[in-house]
Amino acid sequence: MPPRVDKEKCDGCKAEEETLCEQICPGDLMTLGENKKAYCRQPRDCWDCMSCTKVCPVGAIETRMPYQLGYHGAKLVPMMGTDNITWTCVDIHGNVERFRYKNRVEPE
Amino acid sequence: MEKIVPKIGIFIWNQGGRLSQAVDLEGLVKKFSKAKNAARCEFVDELWTTAFFDSLRSAVENKQIDRFLWVGRFTSYQMKYIKGQFSAAGLNPYLHEWVDLEDQGICLKDTAPEIRAAKAASLIQMALARNRLLEPLNPMELPASDAILIIGAGVAGLHAAESLSALGKQVHLVEKESGVGGKVALLSRFYPRICDPHCGLEFTLQKLSESDHVAFHTLSRVEALSGSPGNYMAAVQKKPRYVSETKCNACGECLTVCPKEIPGAFPVSETMKAIHSPFPMSFPSAFVVEREHCPPECRECEKICPAKAVDLNQAPSEDQLRVGAVLITTGWDLYPLSKVEEYGYGRFDNIISNLEMEQLLSSHTRQPGKSAKLSLNDLKEVGFIQCAGSRDERHLPYCSSVCCSATLKQILYFKELVPEAKCYVFYQHIRSSGFEEDLYRKAREMGDVTFVRERPATVALDEQKGKLNVTVLDPLLDKEITMDLDLLVLAGGMCPSQGTRETAQVLKLPQNHYQFFESHLQCHPEEGQRTGIYVGGSCREPMNVSQSIDSSHRSAMQALKYLAGTVLIEPTYPVVNKTKCDQCKRCMEECPFSSFVFDEKEFPTPDLARCRQCGNCMGICPLAVISLNNNTIKQMAVQIEAVNTSFMGKKEPVILALLCENDAYKAARAAVDQGLPVPPNAIIIKVSCAGSVNNAVIADALSLGIDGILIGGCKDDQCHYVKGSQLVQKRSGDLSDKLKTMMIEPERVRFVNLEIRDANKYVEVLNTYIHDLKAMGPNPFKI
Repeated sequence: MPPRVDKEKCDGCKAEEETLCEQICPGDLMTLGENKKAYCRQPRDCWDCMSCTKVCPVGAIETRMPYQLGYHGAKLVPMMGTDNITWTCVDIHGNVERFRYKNRVEPE
Repeated sequence: MEKIVPKIGIFIWNQGGRLSQAVDLEGLVKKFSKAKNAARCEFVDELWTTAFFDSLRSAVENKQIDRFLWVGRFTSYQMKYIKGQFSAAGLNPYLHEWVDLEDQGICLKDTAPEIRAAKAASLIQMALARNRLLEPLNPMELPASDAILIIGAGVAGLHAAESLSALGKQVHLVEKESGVGGKVALLSRFYPRICDPHCGLEFTLQKLSESDHVAFHTLSRVEALSGSPGNYMAAVQKKPRYVSETKCNACGECLTVCPKEIPGAFPVSETMKAIHSPFPMSFPSAFVVEREHCPPECRECEKICPAKAVDLNQAPSEDQLRVGAVLITTGWDLYPLSKVEEYGYGRFDNIISNLEMEQLLSSHTRQPGKSAKLSLNDLKEVGFIQCAGSRDERHLPYCSSVCCSATLKQILYFKELVPEAKCYVFYQHIRSSGFEEDLYRKAREMGDVTFVRERPATVALDEQKGKLNVTVLDPLLDKEITMDLDLLVLAGGMCPSQGTRETAQVLKLPQNHYQFFESHLQCHPEEGQRTGIYVGGSCREPMNVSQSIDSSHRSAMQALKYLAGTVLIEPTYPVVNKTKCDQCKRCMEECPFSSFVFDEKEFPTPDLARCRQCGNCMGICPLAVISLNNNTIKQMAVQIEAVNTSFMGKKEPVILALLCENDAYKAARAAVDQGLPVPPNAIIIKVSCAGSVNNAVIADALSLGIDGILIGGCKDDQCHYVKGSQLVQKRSGDLSDKLKTMMIEPERVRFVNLEIRDANKYVEVLNTYIHDLKAMGPNPFKI
């Protein structure tokens, strides 16, 4: 399921030519609308990679789970730390699981 | 490159036994002697002995220790002393780290000893982690110009120019009019001494014209400003004057041949010729040609000029000026009185503004016989309406502060010239503050000056008598009175001048909601919201003449630091990691002082001379790739990683308090010093501004199991860095919303406003937060 942009929160990366989600999307699907809010221009082509969700500086993007993975109510939420990422998985019954991974491992 | 392994010397200063009473220092020493990278760990009773520092110095020289971690409460003087002790041994002063255990409440008696020990250990562990990443830094010195650009040669600009040129600084005075002096040159008299302003102007101009350091750029405008403090480059466009300033000796021959009469500056002013002196006693005295009024093909003035000064073919020119700082003294304009419709300004000839009244009052000093519409001696009854435009929500909501005294001054001088005249003042309140009260007293004691505490209800022209019929409800008599007046003077309000607005645009300088220039009055006095650009005089707020001279002198004083020939830059400036930056330019948008510029590869990079090192860029960067030197995001991250999340035991919540070092941290410290019952749950990290806290850091803390994050910043309008508090509130709000989707209580991130003396409030905030966190239960990430 494609990313959903919270129009209240999205600030169009302060009206830059290319928003962060636009830069990062591997399918080049995210773009800035005329209202200076980002949107996914071809929802069917989205791979659910969640790059845009992770990169959004104001936390305006949410990726809905595709129905093959979880039905309505299921969620997968990333939170980016300095050198780590924290995932929260919520299934349709409201069971929560959380994972924290180091994603930027620098040599000692 | 060989990786340098830090060798940290950890020294715990017992502070005369204060620390050892609170925690087991020997235990700490034992623990940290074996810590990673610790070269030495000792606790010291007698710190301030020569022998102690000598032994350490030799350890530094023998490369046994290459950085220090000092535990204890050190004053800034002591820190400076310690840094100085090792600089001779070649240790960079930025390789010291300080941990104040007392600030964090270690010595509070109410806390259980095991909690104190665990907290102290955690704090030292955190500082150690941070210490490992310290880098040696050196201050930078950039070459700078010793010239200053002063925009607006009114009384404020001229006085600042005089003082700066006396100090040997090169001064460029840019003035859009043909003569300097600004509004003051139009006045008839100054208060409080009711003396002639030209006398004071002459006095200043004399010195300025004799100085080798002053360049006047009249009929000029600043078109662009580039560069940074110490090294600005200003493009100044000069309109043609058509008369050479050096050749013209103001003999006036041209006036006899000029065929064109043009109206004066104001409706009440006398007419003048198309070629004329800028104004009586102007500086420069050279005439100016208003070319747009010249009849085509007329070159009479050029022909007759005995000094060959007139050149009607002159073209505009542009100058590039290299200056270290800019001082804006663009002053004020009179509020357009035709907007105050009820008083009929512009409809009747005998309703004039107070600025025109000044012209009228000084008209007797000029030759009679010109076609002036009003003559002083015909005026027998004159009314003055105060607050015409000011203190009025439909016009200027603020008090223009000078009009009361200006009117009183005009009355005193007018009565001197026309003693038999009667004056009426219609006012709301007379705000002649300070010694200006004398003017009010004198005017009242004069007789024939009536003060009516109400504004006129109607103003109409009695065409038969040619007088103004004014009706007003006198609140003292409680009845309506009417009078026929020869002249009505409106005390118009002061608003930012046209030049102020244009300058704001060219220099991209923020203005306040009244369009005056604004800055942080206490923290960055007299400086605009851009480093190196100062504002003085009435473009800051309504001021009288002496106040604006004071103000411009203060600004000049501040500007001196960029006129020293070099600009010294603290090395703790922000650095952008360009391998990870993706040029989103958010830092450029959000920097409170607009200090980010593009480098040659279009990466945003801070202009170090402009930067005030608040760290808001570090906080705002979505990818967390901007860091202040020796105060990096990485350092914050490792510090947080080193927090022992269970030092309070399993049940008590642990709070990470990220406090602004200017206000909130001081409040927390005061709470301990005042012996308030500060709960031990909070571990404080001092930050340069609440706005420097990046969301990634908070995410780190939450995912490591810290129960609550408390961000303490100044009140919104009090932040030293203008908007740090607002920015962090917005960001932490966004993060709270994200927590909600993660099924975590959004309240785990909380922002509080703390002022420097809010010690009680800090304790209260902590207690409520602990209470709330207990209700929420532990952070789900807590192991």
